[in-house]
Amino acid sequence: MSAVIQTPEDREASLAGIGVSRLRKEDARFIQGKGNYVDDIKMPGMLHMDIVRSPIAHGRIKRINKEAALAIPGVRAVLTAEDLKPLKLHWMPTLAGDVAAVLADEKVHFQMQEVAVVIADDRYIAADGVEAVEVEYEELPVVIDPYAALAADAPVLREDLAGKTAGAHGPRDHHNHIFTWEAGDRSAADAAFAAAPIKVEQHMHYPRVHPCPLETCGCVASFDPIRGDLTTYITSQAPHVVRTVVSMLSGIPESKVRIVSPDIGGGFGNKVGIYPGYVCAIVSSIVLGRPVKWVEDRIENISSTAFARDYHMDGELAATEDGKILGLRVNVLADHGAFDACADPTKFPAGLFHICSGSYDIGAAHCSVKGVYTNKAPGGVAYRCSFRVTEAVYLIERMVDVLAQRLNIDKAEIRRRNFIRKEQFPYTSPFGFEYDSGDYHTALQKALDALDYPALRAEQAAKRADPNSPTLMGIGLVSFTEVVGAGPSKMCDILGVGMFDSCEIRIHPTGSAIARMGTITQGQGHQTTYAQIIATELGIPSEVIQVEEGDTSTAPYGLGTYGSRSTPVAGAAIAMAARKIHAKARKIAAHMLEVSEADLDWEVDRFKVRGDDSRFKTMADVAWQSYHQPPAGLEPGLEAVHYYDPPNFTYPFGIYLCVVDIDRATGESKVRRFYALDDCGTRINPMIIEGQIHGGLTEGFAVAMGQQMPFDAQGNLLGNTLMDYFLPTAVETPKWETDYTVTPSPHHPLGAKGVAESPHVGSIPTFTSAVVDAFAHVGVTHLDMPHTSFRVWQALRDHGLAL
Amino acid sequence: MEVKLEKQYPLPVAPAQAWALLCDLRATAACMPGAEITEQLSETSYKGAVKVKVGPATAQFGGTVDVLERSDADRRVVMRGKGADKGGSSASMDLTATIEADPANANACVLNGSAMVIVNGKFAQFGGRMMVSVSEMLLGQFVNQFSATAQSIAAASAASDGAVAAETVVAPPPPPVRELDGLSIVWALIKGWLARLFGRKS
Repeated sequence: MSAVIQTPEDREASLAGIGVSRLRKEDARFIQGKGNYVDDIKMPGMLHMDIVRSPIAHGRIKRINKEAALAIPGVRAVLTAEDLKPLKLHWMPTLAGDVAAVLADEKVHFQMQEVAVVIADDRYIAADGVEAVEVEYEELPVVIDPYAALAADAPVLREDLAGKTAGAHGPRDHHNHIFTWEAGDRSAADAAFAAAPIKVEQHMHYPRVHPCPLETCGCVASFDPIRGDLTTYITSQAPHVVRTVVSMLSGIPESKVRIVSPDIGGGFGNKVGIYPGYVCAIVSSIVLGRPVKWVEDRIENISSTAFARDYHMDGELAATEDGKILGLRVNVLADHGAFDACADPTKFPAGLFHICSGSYDIGAAHCSVKGVYTNKAPGGVAYRCSFRVTEAVYLIERMVDVLAQRLNIDKAEIRRRNFIRKEQFPYTSPFGFEYDSGDYHTALQKALDALDYPALRAEQAAKRADPNSPTLMGIGLVSFTEVVGAGPSKMCDILGVGMFDSCEIRIHPTGSAIARMGTITQGQGHQTTYAQIIATELGIPSEVIQVEEGDTSTAPYGLGTYGSRSTPVAGAAIAMAARKIHAKARKIAAHMLEVSEADLDWEVDRFKVRGDDSRFKTMADVAWQSYHQPPAGLEPGLEAVHYYDPPNFTYPFGIYLCVVDIDRATGESKVRRFYALDDCGTRINPMIIEGQIHGGLTEGFAVAMGQQMPFDAQGNLLGNTLMDYFLPTAVETPKWETDYTVTPSPHHPLGAKGVAESPHVGSIPTFTSAVVDAFAHVGVTHLDMPHTSFRVWQALRDHGLAL
Repeated sequence: MEVKLEKQYPLPVAPAQAWALLCDLRATAACMPGAEITEQLSETSYKGAVKVKVGPATAQFGGTVDVLERSDADRRVVMRGKGADKGGSSASMDLTATIEADPANANACVLNGSAMVIVNGKFAQFGGRMMVSVSEMLLGQFVNQFSATAQSIAAASAASDGAVAAETVVAPPPPPVRELDGLSIVWALIKGWLARLFGRKS
């Protein structure tokens, strides 16, 4: 034993466990350019695939001529739907219960849809091959507006669904209708509205945006014709789900399918789905018996793989004259594009949109979401949010502002009057969610104090009184509640697999450890934070804990990383697996110290005999013993697996404040201050939390202030390059101020709630709230995103405020 | 991407001569830089090609031109052109062109053009915002060439003592520019933009 006696605090510090701002273990390789992404993978004999895509948004394929492409030296194959038909792979099931064309089968339904693939010796030859494939189309009328899609005489988009009056989520009442989904109590809500003295309503569009991760989607598929197994390196946020789907589609036993997600350059929901490119690369590898690489370019990424949002929403609030909200009604028209390929838990075609009663104690509420087909790319993924939570939060936060304006009550005050009170938790919302914990009033006051809110309002009043002021000042305030950590398997599944997650921990004889997880990091820093959880639970320094994810051959089955589920679900699985090990370790320690288990106390990294600090065994001592000479009746070794099925979602919340100054001459909105207070329960690594919040705020800024995917009447996407699509850099990004409160989740083993998506969900309505607030004195209640200079300038002009 | 164009161009030639040139689709096409008629399919139907070069990238549109309606009495012709290139763009244009006499001058007329252009695919995606300016510039180039050709025909027919009927004229030497050069397009756009910028201030 060491002569230096360390205090428990010293020992705890040396573990670098929960609560420590431990530096990211991932960064060493990334900042040296040593990451290993899908496109870094090169295999002997590897071929390259490129995709022939439709230039038009709706049309019939009259003829495809591959001859010229096949004549190019180095082109190995050209595949069309006709070639996939015998394998029954020309269509594939989507996560939303619909089917999607892998390669266009007789018809194209959106611009840039996959029509054929060319496999060649190198990427350049593949691209030449794509140009040489001749496709002749008969153009059909295009439907871009989702409202027009439901007109009686609207063109039939999905001829493959002709006569199908029942969809995956109930009856279809129109040929372009996908589903109508409802939650809450319609009659109770109607009754609340009938009795209420004050009613407000607002239409708003949450525009179609794209997650646009820095790394686009791609894969390297390698089928070994001798062994009959398939290994695929893929940009996936859910490798195990991919394995199951690939096995189901290909008929290869799941045990012979290995899916590996290597380093992933950002996902944000874009990498949840299974795309035609993946399927075609896998089929090509099986057909040709050689590895095939496909990596989409930026234009393909923005145009064809998984957009987000595109909700046309009508909100209504009923209230008393002093601003107490009595009822909420919401109607949404959801533009899902050509195929319903949303990535939501199976039972929820509109995701968790019914969190739209927000942080407020509302007596009665009802929402209805109608999904329709249009000639746009499919998707509707959870872009840095738990399924459709951004849309829900945007709706309720905007509506509360609208009500505040109508009643001339300050937006902080109206929130205070309607918040669910601390003592009401656990609180059951009118939509049936059981909120785990929260303390909204404390958080709001902290935020208002931090920015001296009354002083800001006074400054704004002075600016409004000055007709020569060159700027308009707007103050945005949002108090959001998220629902994350999907989810309890009684409610949530994907293709029938419950949305649990898993962890396997092995303690090695010398006291170091490896943990394997069902999730996959895409920038979240799992290798850093997961080790911290184990360090605290088991008293092993996080420096000697390896975290491995993404290889389905080694990791236990998990549903992957999206919807802020890593910490709420996988983080809990880690804690539970560690506690199984801890329980066994206690038995071993009792045996070693020749006392009963009940006589042992756990302290940081050791079991101590109660009342005698000199008699103890560290976890490292126990580990050695477990392999060396375990007590009679105990299995050797020290490891555990846990599959964690969460009893409930978690409900992180936050208060965000934003001050914008709008240039009356140019319409430019300068974000003067942005203050984000987040409460994600127990904080595992404050530095990583802050980084996550900065990232989420920046993406929220992008969505609110600039991102758009404009379509013209012919269905051309007029902004599918980074010249047009706004991706903020350090130049545009405002300075962020972060803060926090801690209200642990009572049902989570660590009390943690998840955080990475809160800043995205919360910041977007905050920017809108701020921009609209700048116009509030002239009666403006809402302006649709994005708040680009031009659009803001148009609003200035329309209200006589432009200089 | 849909662009509507309504243009009037005064031409310094007699209406009959301009009309004769307009009716000769090969000669008219030759006035468009980069365009040519490659094959006549029927009385009113032609195959054609347009080549556009933007920096190192070349797009070759191939397609058809159909004369839908032609009225010698009104000097009016209605055409539909449709084409696609292999790089994933397609375009169509419905064009109505008339030659109107100038009441003040027998040796002058006005070319009225009304066109609806629809562009799909990469050209629409990348060039959407430039479509109107580019189209206007292309039409400008076309009209300049058309005017020059019409004048040279007029001069030629005058030289042959006016004995030769307009119908028998042959097209003059081909225009100097054989493809649409994207760099020159960009330059012209910048010049146009600067002109507007300073024009507004003055």
